[in-house]
Amino acid sequence: MTLPRVVITGTGAFTACGAGADTLWAAARDGVSAVGHVDFPVLTNQRVFRAAHIDDTLFQAHAVDYKPRFQDRVAAFALVAADEAVKMAGLSKEDFGEETGVIVGSGFGGAETLDVNYRAFERGELRMDPMSIPKIMTNAAASWISMTYGARGPVYCNSTACSSASQSIGMAYMLMRSGAIRRCITGGTEASVVTGVFRAWEVLRVLSPDLCRPFCQKRNGMALGEGAGILVLETLDDAQARGATILAEIVGYGTSSDAGDLLRPDFEGAARAMQLALADAGIQPADIGYVNAHGTGTVANDLSETNAMRLVFGDDFDKVAVSSTKPVHGHALGAAGAIEAIVTIEALRNQLAPPTTNYSTLDPAVGFQPVHGEARAIDTNFCLTNSFAFGGVNASLILGNAPDQ
Amino acid sequence: MRNATDENITDLEEELLDLVAEEGMIDRALLKRESAMADLDIASADFIMILMAIEEKYGIYISVDNEMTDLKTVQDLLTTASRKIREQKPE
Repeated sequence: MTLPRVVITGTGAFTACGAGADTLWAAARDGVSAVGHVDFPVLTNQRVFRAAHIDDTLFQAHAVDYKPRFQDRVAAFALVAADEAVKMAGLSKEDFGEETGVIVGSGFGGAETLDVNYRAFERGELRMDPMSIPKIMTNAAASWISMTYGARGPVYCNSTACSSASQSIGMAYMLMRSGAIRRCITGGTEASVVTGVFRAWEVLRVLSPDLCRPFCQKRNGMALGEGAGILVLETLDDAQARGATILAEIVGYGTSSDAGDLLRPDFEGAARAMQLALADAGIQPADIGYVNAHGTGTVANDLSETNAMRLVFGDDFDKVAVSSTKPVHGHALGAAGAIEAIVTIEALRNQLAPPTTNYSTLDPAVGFQPVHGEARAIDTNFCLTNSFAFGGVNASLILGNAPDQ
Repeated sequence: MRNATDENITDLEEELLDLVAEEGMIDRALLKRESAMADLDIASADFIMILMAIEEKYGIYISVDNEMTDLKTVQDLLTTASRKIREQKPE
């Protein structure tokens, strides 16, 4: 029995760049950063003032079905992205049902609800939001998607920090390969540019006070982002049978745990995720034409990720185009893997590696230069995207060109 | 001859030494400027606590960059941190 092939027929993105996978791709391709000034009135001791924030104007323009009494922003982000992805796939509620899964990750869940209510609690206010629990729980977004589309198969919410979305997509791919489900709405969502979460990242000293510059000698931290990325996955047979437009195929997935340090990444663990994905895809490192790196802009990640890529690609490392698009859309944590998978799908479809915005100076310790300045033409059938999380959770996805249709 | 600026730096470095001892949970008497931080068991987590204490005491934000990562000895930390404090200190 041959395993079903898994293809992507719809994508949706909602980030600080705006709504729409095309909007996200245009920003990534042109290196237009959505990182801007953020001010938290409650934070009297705020030190960093930069993030890729979905502000009220952007939010209200797109989250037209937002139900604030029952949903945190995190669920609304996911529903905006899901609406786009399902429409792009040419599917509707009648097409889902018992054979459709929903696997949507989130790191923080309803962070704003948690934040606002903790502060109300601290002030001694009796009345907390009675809907706090259903708004905060990390699986809320996945459940809202399942309710919206009548998807009655398995619902999972992977909460593995910055690998949440990549692991969700990977898990969806594995469940579809196994035949357990025929369709899946998958990805990640995060609404983390809120007072408490922002301050928590600030005190960990990993936020850049000025610019996020992945792989650059001058890098001094990341830019926090937020948003959602959603993919619609189908089997190749189903997609072809209904004449759907196939955007790309998921051909390989690898995930590993460092089982080492909670915060300090281990390049061998990261390399193992990439190697497992390559083995799963049955291709060689030299077949990969572009890597959308995790590339957070922290000293530790970018060095570790580079060492991992050198281990995996060996002598071919200098030939592969590598970039990080996080300076454009910010580090959207539990949504990052899905947002970057969408960028990677578009890189493959357009045969263009987007640039690493803000990059300027070769770091001798890193020893290579990512694609920077302008997008670079590539000629490839395969692209790889990485996500590495605190807790030592590594995930790599390999995307292939859409099969002949 | 030492001038006033040198003395300010020395005072600042002495304050920072106290802070490193407290946050790194190291006996102040055993904390030598020439000691390698690795030998004192100052791990990355202690480093974050030291930077937190610097923010509390001096009101400045230092994120982890290449320079902070390359520090080897206690004196390296004192020199770099005191320079960043002087550069950023709101007057």
